[in-house]
Amino acid sequence: MSLVDGSPVNSSSSDDFAAFLDAELDSTSDTIPQEEEEEEEEEKESDDDDTNSLVQRTKRRKISVLDGSEALNGSTSHMDQIEVLDGSEELNGSTSHIDKIENFMYKLCNACELLCSETSVKEDICTHPGFIGGMCIKCGEKIDNQSGVAFGYIHKDLRLANDEIVRLRDRDLKNLLRHRKLYLVLDLDHTLLNSTRFSDITQDEGYLMNPDDPMQDTLKGSLFKLPFMNMVTKLRPFVHTFLKEASNLFEMYIYTMGERAYALEMANLLDPGRVYFNSRIIAQGDCTQRHQKGLDVVLGQESAVLILDDTEQVWVKHKDNLISMERYHFFASSCKQFGYKAKSLSELRSDESDADGALATVLNVLKQVHSMFFDRELGEDFAGRDARQMLRAVRSEVLKGCKIVFSRVFPTKFQAENHHLWMLAERLGATCSTEVDSSVTHVISTDIGTEKSRWAIQENKFLIEPRWLEAANFLWQRQPEERFPVKEVKLKPLTNTQ
Amino acid sequence: MFFHIVLERNMQLHPRHFGRDLREKLVAKLMKDVEGTCSGRHGFVVAITGIENVGKGLIRDGTGFVTFPVKYQCVVFRPFKGEILEAVVSMVNKMGFFAEAGPVQIFVSNHLIPDDMEFQSGDMPNYTTSDGSVKIQKDSEVRLKIIGTRVDATEIFCIGTIKDDFLGVISDPGTTS
Repeated sequence: MSLVDGSPVNSSSSDDFAAFLDAELDSTSDTIPQEEEEEEEEEKESDDDDTNSLVQRTKRRKISVLDGSEALNGSTSHMDQIEVLDGSEELNGSTSHIDKIENFMYKLCNACELLCSETSVKEDICTHPGFIGGMCIKCGEKIDNQSGVAFGYIHKDLRLANDEIVRLRDRDLKNLLRHRKLYLVLDLDHTLLNSTRFSDITQDEGYLMNPDDPMQDTLKGSLFKLPFMNMVTKLRPFVHTFLKEASNLFEMYIYTMGERAYALEMANLLDPGRVYFNSRIIAQGDCTQRHQKGLDVVLGQESAVLILDDTEQVWVKHKDNLISMERYHFFASSCKQFGYKAKSLSELRSDESDADGALATVLNVLKQVHSMFFDRELGEDFAGRDARQMLRAVRSEVLKGCKIVFSRVFPTKFQAENHHLWMLAERLGATCSTEVDSSVTHVISTDIGTEKSRWAIQENKFLIEPRWLEAANFLWQRQPEERFPVKEVKLKPLTNTQ
Repeated sequence: MFFHIVLERNMQLHPRHFGRDLREKLVAKLMKDVEGTCSGRHGFVVAITGIENVGKGLIRDGTGFVTFPVKYQCVVFRPFKGEILEAVVSMVNKMGFFAEAGPVQIFVSNHLIPDDMEFQSGDMPNYTTSDGSVKIQKDSEVRLKIIGTRVDATEIFCIGTIKDDFLGVISDPGTTS
């Protein structure tokens, strides 16, 4: 037992206790050291006589109270003129009045706890699983190194070591699977909602700001003016139903490239009761890499995460988890930002369809993936499954059985297999080919006059424009080919390419 | 732990307050400036209980402001390592939970929550024993032990544990002393 400097009496009394414990423990074993045997006898003697032991105990208490007050004074002596609220006079007087000792028992306890905590820290080496404000979350030790991943969205100074993240994910996944849930990471802008600044509102959108306009009734509950942020936000149709149903199947995160204050405000609009997201809101400042979103700050096993986002490029490392969303452009400024010339939904005074809009479509996909993941026919062991495989399987059903040939879609010297449309078609379950033959079902072309296009017309195959693929990707369904005919290319661009 | 101590502070007073109510103005300003602040040495200043004395004012050249050295008694609250505190849970997540004891925020990691308590997610996340008899969720009252403190200019943050005898949810408020 190591003696702690400055409190010899106290540590000797705890030494006594340790010896007593040792003796108690050793009494069951065969070999008893000479010294401890003696001590044991001593303890037994004192136990024989009740009054005697009581006296001894009170004596001990007195001693340790003295010591405890010393320690207290010592620890607080750096403060100016301190007076312990219970009264320092009482403290001094306590040594002479046994009945007052009890008042100070809790202080004694504190002193003991201090001793214990110090020794226990010394005894087992803490692995420091994480830090909060420079303190280890397990042992409370102050450590300056800034290793580990920052989890600013849980607490501003929280950092976790990699081992701890793995442990948490493991534990959380088991818990989640028991509840038959997966993780769902949601983007905000253009996925769940669309925002614009007051200053960017065009003349045609002016009715949005007019409380007397007849449109206000239909927009009620989905259009929000936030004067303190100078912003107007429109929630995507169906979003409330979407969140409600998805929350039964998934533990949801918000992950946005916007600022934290904005993210919290939007979460408030989407989830006023704070039942869906809790504190799982990740904003720009929490990302570990610039201009990239990563699942490293999500406390969920990658194999059980699905992502909904309109921007594919930010999820470079997690493409398999991603479900691309068709961008939701309600405001004119948003259309302009992405280079659309057409009038925005707000200017046309219309909106996405509620019942079969993008969110309703994707909810069905999510349900499908979820039911595949938790399919009982495949056994009861869910831990080994991978939601990414399920997603891939669902996606590959979309264009199953189609054989596609591209014509004047890729630049001449481009490796066809690496083009994003080629890869997209394959992800959707179609087979791609560079040459036409009788098994080909679709020709995707930008020009009606190419050799392959003419072949398609002649052979009565579908001749469609590339948008057909993108539409199938967003809507998770093979689209009617008639809606995507290849338009005749005007003469001017043709002369340019020659 | 709470302490009743005497502190000193130099107060600057605008000349417009000079007059009959000078002393009241001084005290009011002192309360506004000091109560609720935090220092590493003394902890949180909870309340000013009295003024010991107000020293001689010193007129500052140019501005007309007067600086008074004021000695005042106040109650301060400073958590110590090893101290047992009662706190109200403010947030529960898979990492553990946050609790508040007045102005002090305390984090209890799930390493320091008894092993038989498991995290349950949902709209009211909580830690529950397997038999469901004990539950820690938002607004629960817990008794915990401080194992680490860090004091900033404006806040005190602590690491706590409930993995010890007699710590955890306070089931019967009557037994708390």
